[in-house]
Amino acid sequence: MKPIALFLFAAVLPGAEDAPAPVVSGSADVGYRWVSDVGGNFNAYRSIVNLGSGPKLFGLDLNIQDPSKRLFDRANLRAEGWGGDPYNTAHLTLSKDGLYRFSFDYRNIAYFNFLPSYALNQRASDTARRFSDVELELRPGKRIVPYLAYSRDAGSGRGITDFYSDANEYPVATLLNDKTDHFRGGVRMEFNRYHLTLEQGGTTFKDDQRVYTSDLNRGNRSVPLFGETLLLRNLEQAYGVRGDSIYTKAIFTAAPATWANLYGQFLFSRPRTETNYSVAASGRFVLLQSLTFLNDQRDLVMTQAKQPHTSGSFGVDLRPTKRLRILESITTDHLHSNLSFNYNQQQLEALYDLTSRVTIRGGHRYLWGDARVRTPFLNPVQGLESGELKRNTGLAGATVRFHSRLNANLDFEGASGDRTWFRTSLHDYRRLRARARYQASGSLQFAAQFFVLDNQNPTPGVQYDFLSRQNSISAAWTPDGGKRVSVLAEYMRSSLRSNLSYFVPQELSRQESIYWDNAHTVTGTVQTTVPGRVSGKLEFGGAFFTAAGSRSTSYYQPLARFSVPFDKRVTWNAEWRWSGFTEGLYRYEGFRAHQFVAGLRIAR
Amino acid sequence: MPTPPLSGSAPFPPPQRPRRVAGAWAALAAAVFLSAVHAQAPEAAAPPSVYAGSEACALCHEDIAKAFKTSRHGVLDEDKKRGWEAKACEACHGAGAKHAESATAAEIRNPAKLAVAETDRACLTCHANGPTHVGRIQGGHARNQVACTSCHTVHHAPTAKVVAPAANIGAQNTRCAECHTSVVAEFKRPYKHRVPEGTMGCVDCHNPHGSFLAGSLRTVSANEPGCLRCHGDKRGPFAFEHAPVRLEGCSSCHQPHGSANPKMLTRPVVGQLCLECHANLGAQPASTIGGIPPAFHDLRNVRFQNCTLCHVKVHGSHVNRALLR
Repeated sequence: MKPIALFLFAAVLPGAEDAPAPVVSGSADVGYRWVSDVGGNFNAYRSIVNLGSGPKLFGLDLNIQDPSKRLFDRANLRAEGWGGDPYNTAHLTLSKDGLYRFSFDYRNIAYFNFLPSYALNQRASDTARRFSDVELELRPGKRIVPYLAYSRDAGSGRGITDFYSDANEYPVATLLNDKTDHFRGGVRMEFNRYHLTLEQGGTTFKDDQRVYTSDLNRGNRSVPLFGETLLLRNLEQAYGVRGDSIYTKAIFTAAPATWANLYGQFLFSRPRTETNYSVAASGRFVLLQSLTFLNDQRDLVMTQAKQPHTSGSFGVDLRPTKRLRILESITTDHLHSNLSFNYNQQQLEALYDLTSRVTIRGGHRYLWGDARVRTPFLNPVQGLESGELKRNTGLAGATVRFHSRLNANLDFEGASGDRTWFRTSLHDYRRLRARARYQASGSLQFAAQFFVLDNQNPTPGVQYDFLSRQNSISAAWTPDGGKRVSVLAEYMRSSLRSNLSYFVPQELSRQESIYWDNAHTVTGTVQTTVPGRVSGKLEFGGAFFTAAGSRSTSYYQPLARFSVPFDKRVTWNAEWRWSGFTEGLYRYEGFRAHQFVAGLRIAR
Repeated sequence: MPTPPLSGSAPFPPPQRPRRVAGAWAALAAAVFLSAVHAQAPEAAAPPSVYAGSEACALCHEDIAKAFKTSRHGVLDEDKKRGWEAKACEACHGAGAKHAESATAAEIRNPAKLAVAETDRACLTCHANGPTHVGRIQGGHARNQVACTSCHTVHHAPTAKVVAPAANIGAQNTRCAECHTSVVAEFKRPYKHRVPEGTMGCVDCHNPHGSFLAGSLRTVSANEPGCLRCHGDKRGPFAFEHAPVRLEGCSSCHQPHGSANPKMLTRPVVGQLCLECHANLGAQPASTIGGIPPAFHDLRNVRFQNCTLCHVKVHGSHVNRALLR
């Protein structure tokens, strides 16, 4: 609404009647959505689809250009998903060349998660996160550009979590409420041969979570402990977290000569939090360390955490000859709190134009670092754990433009790791990605992609074997610019196999953790004009996913759309969509639902 | 029609050079070395070219000229400081008087048909020096020779069909999807971020111009991973951290593009996911971080197969060392 208000304001300014009228263009999609009765598991439907019935503003896109350039040159307002949909967005930009650029972005995303198969149905949430971003840039396009920005990320809602007490855990209700405010301001200095950005920012953070119950709760333990039945009668648990941070950002780029570019950045942040935690619980509990049974638990905990985090990178792009480019970059990242790590990366790569159509590249990347982590209280290895990272990676690639219609790209990494942070980290790996696009004619285009990642960690006791493949092919056929018919189709076959040995604590034995996933995904749409006097458009297609393996799943979303223009500005739209979800192991989580949409698109 | 300048230098550098060059860079040893290389093999000086001016271009390329005026680049034609006043077309295409006379394509530079490095050079002559490009040489697009014009349209105002900062999320996602087809397919899985719905864009998480983080991931609050822009409650710092969150990021446990497993996890069962790291008994001292769970964890019992039933603060805890509360 703001650009309209500004436009009205502009209209009453002196001399407005002499000024040329603003040019307004845009479109609005309004209508009504009906969702059929959901067959199957309604909570799974809400967790995955979550669309409801009712009148909707599906989309709004409004552009205003003011030739008189008084308050603004251009204004754009966009909005999507208003009217009770779980995802609402709004975006406003106003700009006046050389004077200011203002943007406002708002998003409201609902997160509903309540799946019977996950964590015994005891980790669920019904929350919403709202994001607001406001940024004002002064003198855009000039040499020195100051800017100010503010953003807020807030989440609230309710859910189910567990209250843990020794030897039992109790599913209880929780209220969630957190908020982060970001403030930042800075200045960009952009010159022909160099640029410098200096930014100073800060955040404030609060997180108030409440966990409570007043009902008798026997928890997950089904048998008494030494003849005592553990239970929870009343609980009031509260987390009060307050935090703030300051951060500094200094970025520069420079082109000191026609054959060299330099890039560098220094980033520093120092977030900190203070927590006041309290719990008051009554029931029947046990302290396992002393094997003492008790009827009440009361705890008060206050903690502080601080985390200075410094990062920097420096890069050089050199072009010593017309055909040769040398890229060198160094990155370093240091973080220190109760967990500390030092991470470093050095990469050198050369690109060479063999011909005007073929570019090859090769290089080397070296990663090294160390980390120290406080171990969990019950861990047999008390105190601190430490890890090291050392990995040499060879880089290679090629870009080939056979002619203007066919181009291909190859990207390969092969690494030999001495040390890794975790058992599942990249160790000895080979990663290859190949892409090709072929423009067979002005209206027909093909694209193909091949990806493979093979990672091995032969360390005794780990023996990690991971293989992931993704192959996809797509085609787009748009004869005569897609005026009468257009076809878009894509197919992807992906497979993943992971095999890792792990330790079973109570048996002191080793077992294999095997995970595999074998998936097919088909996406496609066919759009055609309806023959006859009605110059409508018909579109049908959808997305179809099916996977076999450790969690066999299928998720089908066919759709059909029909649109008929009433005149140049008004089009009637109708859409049918079906969502069908099935799980092989957890059949009770499947659902099926039809969605029908009817509405108008008004364009100007 | 404005009087064109009599001559111009090489096609891309703007005619107005800055008076001073950052002297500190001259001290770099590499610069000295490369200067020597260039001194040994000097390139032939480009013959002087003559500018035609934007109005001359508009006589034949009327549609492009009209669209160009509404684009962000249109300001070049009026901006005296940038040095391309009344000849904005030639900022990228080079001096075009010969082309204006002969009307032959061979007489004008067309960045869209050049080698990628040359195309990028045309853009980066003006755009390299900006904060967006600081991670450029670490990003996959520059290393894989993806030209600026693969994503950006130069002549037109931002609309639904072109990518620009003001373009809508759906249009940006569509442009990314043209090459990243396998990522599009991953988003067809049931558990994913709200990208297909148009609520989130690829560029909300990734900086397509490059970043010092893997996967060209965006940063927030200077140097924290971009995931924390929305998941602020996972930021911490926690009095008791969970190491993989800091060391390898969210993707050590989650598949952000989409998964068949709830919560976008990399494994279908929580216990399996946790135990793959928390199983360090074979090698002493352990070569990796993770430790092992104590022996009372009876993994035959379904309670112990769902680690997060007890370890509720799995992303990090403010009050409990074992992430229990």
